[in-house]
Amino acid sequence: MRRAIVLVVLAVLAVAALLVPLLGDYYIHVFALVFINIILAASLRPSLNCGQLNIGHSAFMCVGAYTSALLAKHYALPFELTLLAGALLATVVGLIVGYPALRLRGVYFAMVTVAFVEVIRLIAAIWVPLTRGNSGLSGIPKPNLLGFTLVSKSSQYYLAVALTAIALFVLWRLERSRLGLTWRSIGLADNLAQSLGVNIAAHKLLAFAVGCFFAGVAGAFYAHFIRFLFPPEFGFLVATNILVYNFVGGRGHFVGPIVGATFLSLLSEPFRGSAYETIFFSIAMLLTILFLPGGLITLPGKLAELRWWRATAAPTPSPAA
Amino acid sequence: MALLETRGLTRLFGGLAAVRDVDFTVDKGEIVGLIGPNGAGKTTCFNLLSGFLRPTRGSIVFDGESISGLRPHQIAARGLVRTFQLTTLFQEMTALENVLLGLHLHSGTSARRVLLSRRDFPPDEIARSREVLDFTGLASHADQLTRNLPHGHQRVLGIAMALAAQPRLLLLDEPVTGMNLDESGRVMELVKTIRSRGTTILLVEHNMKAVMGTCERIVVLNFGQKLAEGTPAQVSTSPEVIQAYLGTGVAHA
Repeated sequence: MRRAIVLVVLAVLAVAALLVPLLGDYYIHVFALVFINIILAASLRPSLNCGQLNIGHSAFMCVGAYTSALLAKHYALPFELTLLAGALLATVVGLIVGYPALRLRGVYFAMVTVAFVEVIRLIAAIWVPLTRGNSGLSGIPKPNLLGFTLVSKSSQYYLAVALTAIALFVLWRLERSRLGLTWRSIGLADNLAQSLGVNIAAHKLLAFAVGCFFAGVAGAFYAHFIRFLFPPEFGFLVATNILVYNFVGGRGHFVGPIVGATFLSLLSEPFRGSAYETIFFSIAMLLTILFLPGGLITLPGKLAELRWWRATAAPTPSPAA
Repeated sequence: MALLETRGLTRLFGGLAAVRDVDFTVDKGEIVGLIGPNGAGKTTCFNLLSGFLRPTRGSIVFDGESISGLRPHQIAARGLVRTFQLTTLFQEMTALENVLLGLHLHSGTSARRVLLSRRDFPPDEIARSREVLDFTGLASHADQLTRNLPHGHQRVLGIAMALAAQPRLLLLDEPVTGMNLDESGRVMELVKTIRSRGTTILLVEHNMKAVMGTCERIVVLNFGQKLAEGTPAQVSTSPEVIQAYLGTGVAHA
């Protein structure tokens, strides 16, 4: 029964996603960005489940974006290769940074990731010969997939849908597998996990690397979709937004970050790029902490509880009585 | 031959010796108790044996191999598995998931299993976990969230997880503390059954009745040093031990 409901919801969402291009270019653009945010938010989850608060996830998106863009621009490589290269380089950078940083816990690790995202942004801003710095990198070709250039916005949108579906499938399977269970166990009680033979350093690094890989995927698509890269778009604020998607959506279930990313990206759309965006995200985070600590995914349960309270407080006479 | 042997085991915290020059052995198939008044160094001793602390001096030899300085997961992989005081469990998971995690050392995972299998866990791992739950009397609670289990069941679940790791030496840290007579009696029966199935046991416990009734040999620590060692009868009549527990006033009385 529950399985059937899940399948129906998934089918409805899939059809809705495929129908978006009928609404026109503006909505295509908005929803493609939603899908990028979904990949980013969901790929933060493995690390969060290990109990590691990563506030620098956009750094790996940045690495993926510039890698893919530069390879396509200067070497005319196809998208399937530049995407892979971007994701792999993001993973390698993640492993290099994560190896020492993941020994730190809690707020200390979080601070390293904040420093890291700013370092990457600065590198992108300062390394002018390669990245064009703060003038921005333009002239990025449209995605060229398997010999076909995706000229239209709607075809690029479908690429985003496909990438999101693949990323979510892999991340979901990982979460449900023994690896996912082990990662959660580290987040819940790392000393106990160790005593059962779990190499927590290796597992935290693996979870982190998986997240970096998919952040790289999101970045690579972003580069060829927007076709203009600008270092400040990968800064600390973007990274905190990714974290906020997870908390507002809910940490307790795989769909949390997906719900959070969708809900917040769409609601914040009128403020995109303005100072109000930060205010909006701050308020969303505050409201969540105050009224819905489990995130939006706990809302149906809370409402049901409320209805139950009302029903018991004012019992309606039953017809039998 | 001794399964576990410590020589001159010492751990300093600053200038304070939490454990100093402790020698003791645990033979294969024994149930050994480690007792002592509060602050005697029992927990430090456990943390040293299980790799959560490194010894300042001295050696720990497990099954002929030195394990001092190894990390906790490496020690667990060699067959020395510990439980924790109170309720260190994966509270937000079901009892079954907790035991599945106990199987960590004896499980495999592959890309094919993760991406292509329709089942989250191989049936034999589920079956083994259920067997362990059955053996410890928790079978009917398999799918309950751990934090919703009564205290006594949580403590037993901690033992069940350690058992799933198939230890050769099981270190139990206060397995019956906070339990009523009935519960502690059942847990101590469980401990004996575990031993009869081939697992050697070293336990720290405050509940004297449980220790005396279960252990064949007892090591008494006081102020970080070994005070006495022997059978429950020998230890409980030793003047030094009585003095350590009750104070000098009574010993002289």
